Amino acid sequence: MHFAKPLAERAALALGFFLALSISAGLVVRAQTAPSDVAAGQKLFRANCAGCHKWHGGGGGSYGGDALSLRKTKLDRAAIIETIGCGRPGTGMPYHLRDAYENGACYGLKENDVANGMALAANNFLRPTEIAAIADYVIANVKGRGEPNYAECVAFFGTGSRVCNIYGDQRTAGAATK
Amino acid sequence: MDRNRSRLFGGCALGLVLALGLMGKPAGAQDVTDQRLLNADQEEGNWILHHKDYSAQRFSTLNQINAGNVKDLRVAWTLQLGGVEGGGIWSHGGLEGTPLAENGFLYVTDGWGSLYKIDTHGGQGVLMWKMDPKTDHDWAGAIACCGVDNRGAAFWHNLVVTHTLDGRLIATDKETGKIVWQRQVANPDKGEVVTGAPLIVHDMAITGVAGAEYGIRGWIAATDLNTHQELWRTYTIPAKGEPGSETWKDDHDALATGGGSTWVTGSYDPATDTIVWGVGNPGPDWDNAYRPGDNLYTDSTLGLDAKTGHIKWHFQHTPNDSFDYDSVAENVLVDVNGQKLALEADRNGVGYAVDRTNGKFVWALPFVKQFTWTKGIDPTTGRPVDYDPSKGVQTYVASVTPSRTNKVTTICPGNMGGKNWPPTAYNPTLHLWYIPVIESCNRITVEETIPGKSFKPREGFTGGGPSDPIRITGSVTAIDVTTGKMAGKAETPYPMLGGLLATPDLVFAGQPDGKVMALDAKSLATLWEFNTGGGVSAPPMTFTVDGKQYIALLVGQGGAWDKWFIDSTPDLKRIAPSSTLYVFRL
Repeated sequence: MHFAKPLAERAALALGFFLALSISAGLVVRAQTAPSDVAAGQKLFRANCAGCHKWHGGGGGSYGGDALSLRKTKLDRAAIIETIGCGRPGTGMPYHLRDAYENGACYGLKENDVANGMALAANNFLRPTEIAAIADYVIANVKGRGEPNYAECVAFFGTGSRVCNIYGDQRTAGAATK
Repeated sequence: MDRNRSRLFGGCALGLVLALGLMGKPAGAQDVTDQRLLNADQEEGNWILHHKDYSAQRFSTLNQINAGNVKDLRVAWTLQLGGVEGGGIWSHGGLEGTPLAENGFLYVTDGWGSLYKIDTHGGQGVLMWKMDPKTDHDWAGAIACCGVDNRGAAFWHNLVVTHTLDGRLIATDKETGKIVWQRQVANPDKGEVVTGAPLIVHDMAITGVAGAEYGIRGWIAATDLNTHQELWRTYTIPAKGEPGSETWKDDHDALATGGGSTWVTGSYDPATDTIVWGVGNPGPDWDNAYRPGDNLYTDSTLGLDAKTGHIKWHFQHTPNDSFDYDSVAENVLVDVNGQKLALEADRNGVGYAVDRTNGKFVWALPFVKQFTWTKGIDPTTGRPVDYDPSKGVQTYVASVTPSRTNKVTTICPGNMGGKNWPPTAYNPTLHLWYIPVIESCNRITVEETIPGKSFKPREGFTGGGPSDPIRITGSVTAIDVTTGKMAGKAETPYPMLGGLLATPDLVFAGQPDGKVMALDAKSLATLWEFNTGGGVSAPPMTFTVDGKQYIALLVGQGGAWDKWFIDSTPDLKRIAPSSTLYVFRL
């Protein structure tokens, strides 16, 4: 979900983790799926996700690596919640649940099971309801979208910044298209 | 001298303000004139140019604080500043600026370009005014590759001249703090932002641009401070058909997005009326097969005719770079052994001396502990010994060099350097050049860039990215400029992200864990250390007020380190963003 080409040795290990565990993980975090406030999700997305995935969720290359595109993601709501909460061990995608690796909630792993540096902690941890709100925002406003456009940009930033200037010629394009 | 001047200026201040108000143009004894800038090194207690003087030596002759008493250095006062808020992709702003000092007043900027005037008389710091340029945070912050940064201000007559991240040049009245005029110089719609301090030469403000990670075509621009119009703009990437364009051998117009940013303030040689300015990496950073050829003038030092911006000479350090080895660093102008040198400590880990009258190579010395990308520098040409002029795509040490066939590789130094923007300092008596070193290796992953598809305005255009599984440390490394040999290396637990100040027998530096230190100028032994409690990403400077010497330093984690490179220094995760001016005295 996050960095397409992360640390090689982590990636190799990560593949093993996912092959071995993703099927069997009857994840606790997946249970946190109550519908939530998309507007709140956007605020949380901006504070916690846009730094790498960009405001439009398209990710892309940067000094931090290559955050994957949430616009092109195939993950369903439960899987998005799982990925935000647990991160992607072996990649740059950090975990946002404070106790992600304390009680086996993520892939059945505990702290000692995760190789040193394998799972990155996010700068700010999120509550399960906040994670669900982000997932709902991603599904409602990001997943499946094409190229970013002016309407989307203004919906994200408002009109107080020139950040949407470059989409200006799309102002007549209307709402984002799936 | 400074005390006399201070009294004189104090007496003239009211009349000067009135005169300026009436005349609407600069006049008066307090003016920072061309003549004063040319003799900035003579103003012992002031610091009126970004790098102290046009030679960028960052050497102060002040010696009240010296090796014998520096152990008694302590905090005189602190002042909380602003600009710590985030914007775009950044969660916070930081401080990378060098304060200016004139007659006991400091002028500092925060990361979003707010300018603060501080009265330091009487042993305290009192904020006189703050100019907030209302920088468009998201417009600029979404395309700032490497943090919310502003490295400082410049003086011109009665104005303080600054940049903003969103690409403006702003002239502020020194007395009132009111914006007198401003001009849009860079265009964030093209991925351009500005982080450096202006360089004032001949009534011009020289601006450099950042954005090589976003597919810009770099430039250096001169604004006439009298007319507020642009006098010249020299592109660092030639247009098709221009000299140098033959070094872009692709068939898909790679030079249109070729990078070559110029985001560190350059130096100026009055004797030849030459601006010496460094140029950054080509774009995309790590996919050099996208842009076969040497890719002039990326990773080069340029000598520009100050009046026209014409490129008089160039020296390129890393042709067809696939490492992100900018040569954007300041050039230090030094006269030694009868030679007129320009010294540049490069991201590629090599310190270079060239003849600043013609750009001819003199000597080079790798200054990092780990140096793997080339087998060495040719002592005759200054080129990497494995550079092959018959190749469009250079491979250097092929097992190390990032390429489409070596897509995941570890390079030393890592892409941050070597030596990044934090400025060096030079002691002209000892002939020692001090380099703030990032002792690093990091991992590069290459992603193939697709012509016509990969580039999108305001989106990253890097051809891959770095990651940092390897611990990164630092050092202050001294080179004897008379011999071009290493004279010492004081290792530090963290990379040097803030830059240096030299005084007759000391070197001052700050570290990203918050420590500030004074080293012995000869032995590099630590003589004093103080923990500011915040990350230091800015250079120290020194000034006098009321006849007493002070050391000033901005404290507040800036730059890209905590976002992109923190895995290499995990214990720095505990450092919180902050925004404080620290001033020290005996």
